[in-house]
Amino acid sequence: MKDTDNYCVRCGEPFTEHGPLNKILENAGQLNLEKFLERFELCQKCRAQVFAERLIGNRLEKVRGSQHTPKRRRKKLRTIQTDTRVGSTVYKSECFTCNQGCDALVHVKDGKVIRVEGDPSSAVTQGTLCCKGLASKELLYHPDRLVRPLKRVGKRGEGTWQRISWDEALDTITDRFHEIERKYGENSIALATGTNRGWVRYFSRFANAYGKQWIGPGIAQCFYPRMTGEILVLGSNAIENPQYDHTQCMLVWGVNPTNTWPVKGLGMMEARSRGAKMIVVDPVFSEAASKADMWLQIRPGTDAALALGMLHVIIEEELYDKEFVDKWCFGFKDLMGRVERYTTSKVEEITWVPGSKIRMSAVMYATTKPASITQCLSIDQNADTISTSRAIAMLAAITGNIDVPGGNLMSMPMKEHHRSKETLSDYLTKEQHEKRLGSKEYPFLAGEACILQPSAHNHAVWQAILTGKPYPVRAIYCQGSNIIAGYANTRMVIDALRSLDFFAVADFFMTETANVADIVLPVATWMERSSVTHNDQTSINNFHLQQKIAQIGECWSDFKILNELAKKLGFGERMFPDDEAYLDFLLEPSGMTFQEFKKVGVISVPYSFKKYEARGFNTPSRKIQLYDNRLKDLGFDPLPNYREPTESPVSTPELAKEYPLIITTGGRVPVFRHSELRNIQILRELVPELLVSINPKTAEQFGIDDGSPVILESPRGSMDAKAYLTEGIDPRVVQVPSHWGGKNNVNRIMDNESCAPMIGSIQHRCQLCRIRRKG
Amino acid sequence: MSQKILFIDVDNCVRCYACEIACRQEHGLTFDTKSRWCQVMAVEPRWAENELHMDFVPTMCFQCDDPICAYFCPVDAISRSEDGIVVVDEDTCVGCKLCIYGCPYGVMFYNEVKGVAGKCDLCTSRIHHGLEPACVQHCIGGALQFVTREELTVLTAQRHTLSVGTVSYASSKWKLTELF
Repeated sequence: MKDTDNYCVRCGEPFTEHGPLNKILENAGQLNLEKFLERFELCQKCRAQVFAERLIGNRLEKVRGSQHTPKRRRKKLRTIQTDTRVGSTVYKSECFTCNQGCDALVHVKDGKVIRVEGDPSSAVTQGTLCCKGLASKELLYHPDRLVRPLKRVGKRGEGTWQRISWDEALDTITDRFHEIERKYGENSIALATGTNRGWVRYFSRFANAYGKQWIGPGIAQCFYPRMTGEILVLGSNAIENPQYDHTQCMLVWGVNPTNTWPVKGLGMMEARSRGAKMIVVDPVFSEAASKADMWLQIRPGTDAALALGMLHVIIEEELYDKEFVDKWCFGFKDLMGRVERYTTSKVEEITWVPGSKIRMSAVMYATTKPASITQCLSIDQNADTISTSRAIAMLAAITGNIDVPGGNLMSMPMKEHHRSKETLSDYLTKEQHEKRLGSKEYPFLAGEACILQPSAHNHAVWQAILTGKPYPVRAIYCQGSNIIAGYANTRMVIDALRSLDFFAVADFFMTETANVADIVLPVATWMERSSVTHNDQTSINNFHLQQKIAQIGECWSDFKILNELAKKLGFGERMFPDDEAYLDFLLEPSGMTFQEFKKVGVISVPYSFKKYEARGFNTPSRKIQLYDNRLKDLGFDPLPNYREPTESPVSTPELAKEYPLIITTGGRVPVFRHSELRNIQILRELVPELLVSINPKTAEQFGIDDGSPVILESPRGSMDAKAYLTEGIDPRVVQVPSHWGGKNNVNRIMDNESCAPMIGSIQHRCQLCRIRRKG
Repeated sequence: MSQKILFIDVDNCVRCYACEIACRQEHGLTFDTKSRWCQVMAVEPRWAENELHMDFVPTMCFQCDDPICAYFCPVDAISRSEDGIVVVDEDTCVGCKLCIYGCPYGVMFYNEVKGVAGKCDLCTSRIHHGLEPACVQHCIGGALQFVTREELTVLTAQRHTLSVGTVSYASSKWKLTELF
């Protein structure tokens, strides 16, 4: 049989035609293969693509068809069972490939994990699991995993390592920390963390018990701003917890849930199938936007103006819940005065969203009851993040959508210790609060005003390392963070890290960051540890079980590393002797030990609504704070306001002549988690390269074709990418996914100096850049 | 046995790739096998009636009534089972790749590790075990459902539909066109 090389008429790639086609066609005459002849000129991949395009076609004929929510199977829960098909033992656990925590079943055969699946008994995931979680086995057994502690033997960053014992590794960290503390003072040691997979409070406990400050990329520009904003307004988080079961209208703000939060994506899509309305705010035509009834294509970074404009419409047209506002909202008149200036025409000018769409979406949200809001990271990365999240929370507040079925639910009273008992935050002294880097500029991040766990501001830490001001920081212990990929202004970050006297990193892989460390510790992934998990972002009313199933090399769980390091550093008694002792402590209020919990597998509390009716909201006025005296006392605006991005065609027209495009970064793809999983081949093949989304008109202007290599530049530096031409983005904007490494790292061109007031968020979503073809 | 239908609601697909990876895990299709029995294809953003549209189409073997791949197979390794599923007998297959070349939909794959052809078998072993196909169980958007013919009638009422073999596509937006 002879193989002939053919070229696909669609993509031009060569493919092989096997054997004598004509003969086969003759023999298969009865199949009427003529109609397929065209397909035989295509490669295998293009055949599937052409099928998809032909199937959809171009005849848009909307029908009022009934959509149906799929019937999800519910199986009875057993924490360990057997799969008789292949004779594998199946353990119930909790996937922590991201930090969300989804119920998963792990199939083990002959001591090896053979498969990870969704758990059909789960009320939360309903048997689903995202592609990242499904690929957990590839993460667990990845040949590049760190499996033993390493010590640097060559020059810093050179990549020459020697295997050492855990004892030696922890002793080295302890000795070096003591030495540096003696030389530069107790504040010269800092801690760093990133993706916390169910151990954020434990890391805080470690920091507080040790008396050291810490930084995390997910603090000033992820989660904390929106938490702070909504807790200021509502006294609890609620906007973070949309209840999809009964919602009739979803305002999906700057998030593509099926990519970033598959569990929320599941709820959102089920509600949509039921017929709930969907409004999506996104500068990019995302998967969520493509499913929306209304897509508001916003100028990046102007979310606060849009929210204030919607508030204006709702108040002006008297669509708010008068009874609820009278009874439960404080400062409504003040808010009314503030939103006066945010007329639809003014907001259209700021946000680029047509005034008619602003009005229609505001009316749709306010009059369709109950309505929920889904928000995420994007509102944490503009010029005034707390104002943005406060304004969005107020949309839910004045329409009476707080803590009602189908609205946004407040946190549930779960059987757990008070947070201060868990994090030992009472150990912190006034002096420590004041000394924390960034505490004066950003009190809600680094000062005593911080509502969650206070942490240092990243820019201030890099400056302290590089300049020694206000005091020197000379050593960092980093657990679970690829700092170089995660923080803006890569050059400054790398300079700072490389100039440290001592740097220790705990991670799964030898990341760019671990590569410049002195000591590297191997960490267990989720299948190699036990835990009790509760994450509001997944479900507000469940505790889940994670049970240890595998052990790779000498990897330790995050808990164990912190426990053992604390023992060496001399404060072991403030932590726990081992993982299980900590888990027993977590379960204490429920009256269970971890061993007992292992048999139960889940603790659920039924949903409760209108929890505020008993004792009011957890704010000074016991009401929803539309106007906030606490902010006024700290010298900030007591009402939400819009602040123009520090760099923009409006605020810096001169700079915009040189750097004419708005760059928005951080949009997620489904297959990666932050800087992770790019080394998992079956995921990487789905998104092999970094693509910058650019409108074809803009591309033409700069001589860029689809797929051409491009260079993006800003005053901070330059980066490489490949162009992806799409109608789904405004010609004045480019979108670049974040967390890629090396020259593809978008943080090489991002500024970290001009931050949002109160909390110090970096404006990842709204800076300026220019683009050109490479070469 | 009354054959169930793999119902694909293209309006609900969000390209989350859960089906693809679930399929690879279920069937042990490691990266080296170069086999993607289930693939989500994207129809990129385009304008229609002043609106931007973007769509996603999960593709897999349709278990054709008259499977073309079977005609191409020189050793008769491909046949239809009682369940109506087109099965590749791995022991008979000689790895000549003719079926891959012959499949007009690009859903037959050559398993580089095993050296044989392979494709979606609708998770036969899962179904016999009382489970749904892996792609269906893990579908986050609710685009994939495994239903009886009666359920299908309800699900496709008043909607544009197009059926091939045991797969039935539906949309409330696009008049799904003829395949060729």
